[in-house]
Amino acid sequence: MSETTATRTTPCKAVRLEATNHEGSLLGKNVSPAKFEAGKDSGFAFADILFAIDLNNEIVLGDAFPDWRGNIYDIAMVPDLSTLVEWRPGLDSVIGDYWLKDGSPVPICPRNLVKRLVARLAEHGYTATAAVEIEATLFEESVQEARSKGYRDLTPLGGSTGATYHLARSSDWVAYMEAVVERLDQVGITWEAWTDEAAPGQTELNLAPTDPVRLGDNWARTRQVMREVGNALGHTVSFMAKPTAGFGQGAHINLSLQRDGVNQYFAEDGPSELMRHSVGGLLATMAGATSIVMPQITSYRRLVDLTGPPTTISWGVNNKTAAVRAITGHPKYSRLEYRLPGADVNPYLTLAAVLAGVLAGIEGRIEPPAQVTDMAWCLPDDGSVERIPDTMSKAGAALAADPLLRAHLGDEFVDFWVASRRWEWMEFHTKGGDPYAELSAWESTRYFEFP
Amino acid sequence: MSAPTTVAPPPARPELVRVAIEDDATPLVRQLGRTLGEAIRSGHAHDELSRAGGTVAVRSHDTPQAATITLGATIEVRGGVLAEPDATVVVDLHGRFAPTEEPSGDAVLAAGVLHALRPPLPPWREAAARFWQETRPIPGIPDVLVVHVLGPDGPEEGRFGEGATTYELTGPADLLAGVFTGADDFLAALDAGVQVKGTLSQLSVMTAASWKARFDV
Repeated sequence: MSETTATRTTPCKAVRLEATNHEGSLLGKNVSPAKFEAGKDSGFAFADILFAIDLNNEIVLGDAFPDWRGNIYDIAMVPDLSTLVEWRPGLDSVIGDYWLKDGSPVPICPRNLVKRLVARLAEHGYTATAAVEIEATLFEESVQEARSKGYRDLTPLGGSTGATYHLARSSDWVAYMEAVVERLDQVGITWEAWTDEAAPGQTELNLAPTDPVRLGDNWARTRQVMREVGNALGHTVSFMAKPTAGFGQGAHINLSLQRDGVNQYFAEDGPSELMRHSVGGLLATMAGATSIVMPQITSYRRLVDLTGPPTTISWGVNNKTAAVRAITGHPKYSRLEYRLPGADVNPYLTLAAVLAGVLAGIEGRIEPPAQVTDMAWCLPDDGSVERIPDTMSKAGAALAADPLLRAHLGDEFVDFWVASRRWEWMEFHTKGGDPYAELSAWESTRYFEFP
Repeated sequence: MSAPTTVAPPPARPELVRVAIEDDATPLVRQLGRTLGEAIRSGHAHDELSRAGGTVAVRSHDTPQAATITLGATIEVRGGVLAEPDATVVVDLHGRFAPTEEPSGDAVLAAGVLHALRPPLPPWREAAARFWQETRPIPGIPDVLVVHVLGPDGPEEGRFGEGATTYELTGPADLLAGVFTGADDFLAALDAGVQVKGTLSQLSVMTAASWKARFDV
């Protein structure tokens, strides 16, 4: 807390404890400075049910609980003091992980999963650097107005024409984004670029490469910042995979591996062997990972050929129509771009899924299939390139059957996640969702504000 | 020659039709497929389900859920209503497919399908025994199912299975039979008079078991 205290201008009146649940919502509570000091080492009690509440506040049922879950037990959220920042005058913010009473990590804690996989990479001598491109859509209406309209028929901030890279967006849109990056600067989140994206009101905000755990922290906090700025300016932002029937939004992950500071994905003549094995693992696990990186019902509505997201389990050098794009030939910037995730993901779980695929490829020395040098959309259905699972249920089945992801994410997490998606699927179908609509009101209500 | 006075044995049952649901089916398609399958197995509505053809749209009265049943040698159930059906029925999915409005289109076809979707329930004890048997593979399922029935003839009890972990269900006989056969939704039944005794984890597993019975998932 020393650094924060040293630079603060207003005494700290509260500390906000933060961590994501499985859905990716940033959950927490505000504690007094005295309470924080008393509990910062031992942790703070949270009910285990936070991992079993859906986005409509229903208890998720349908699976056998592990031993650490009972009739709503407490688990400990232990803050990671390296994440402590002055969020705004009077309020500090700290991110933590969930731990069991015996000192072991909660097996389904998203942040701990990333930490475990980063450690596994370190055992192989690698450090990972990751970055994310966050897409979000901004609306003129306040969140109160959006709620009153059922999150439908809202007015895109900055005009109703689709555009990309245009600098002529109206000043309300620009003012929002400038306020966002100013807040990011204040809380120490390094960003690289922002621009308008393909859809009306849509932006893309790129966070700088960093280690995966820190990237998850920055990503989760950036979404919080974007919401807070929206509230302050009387606008709304949504990270739904498709906030309107027309346009989707993703969250591409860029990843490279270093050893002793040297990019191991670089080779003079194309992908290095390590990059190839990473691609091999990412593709071998992609069907199952889809369940994690496309977590909600609406996520699957993005999977339309020619509209941006990948639709096939494919890779290619500098091929943005493939699911994994390999950027090669540069000693520093050689990397993989994993293009499947939606904007609606849990940041940590998505990073965990990517790292798990990379680890599987490295450890199994998995050679990738031939790269796709044509357009990876609309490919003939001849079995040469598999399509990405296009429903939540198909993706869940693929994850349940994936031995590689089970090995790296753990059976407990996989079983928990598959059960949680089955609950989500059941809720959608039986409680008002419409699979035959372009975007049903059930989805707007459930996903517009959270995660 | 006098007329025979004994009842002739029923004619040999013709080749049974079968039910096929599409891949990656919705809960409603699964529920329809399971119910029609049960109707065929039990001989309920045999004549209605043996019709050579006809399509019936089944719509939920309070959600967008919809499916199409196509009769034939194989009864096919698909999600949605993608073409004009011969008949449409609107039903209460939490009311054992009770129609909530007059069917439209081919009235005979609609009545036949509605009849097929509403087979009589087995006695609660038979339903419970089958439920217990069929849910054994579900991870975490309690070893023993104890059922307390509040029937018109006084309380009854059934105990199914042996082992260390027990789950108890209490409620009206008809509602419990509905839960055990999948005709009724388990969580909705908790609001309609069924009571449970067990852990939260067991409630979660029993929910999975009820989905197995209702949707075969």
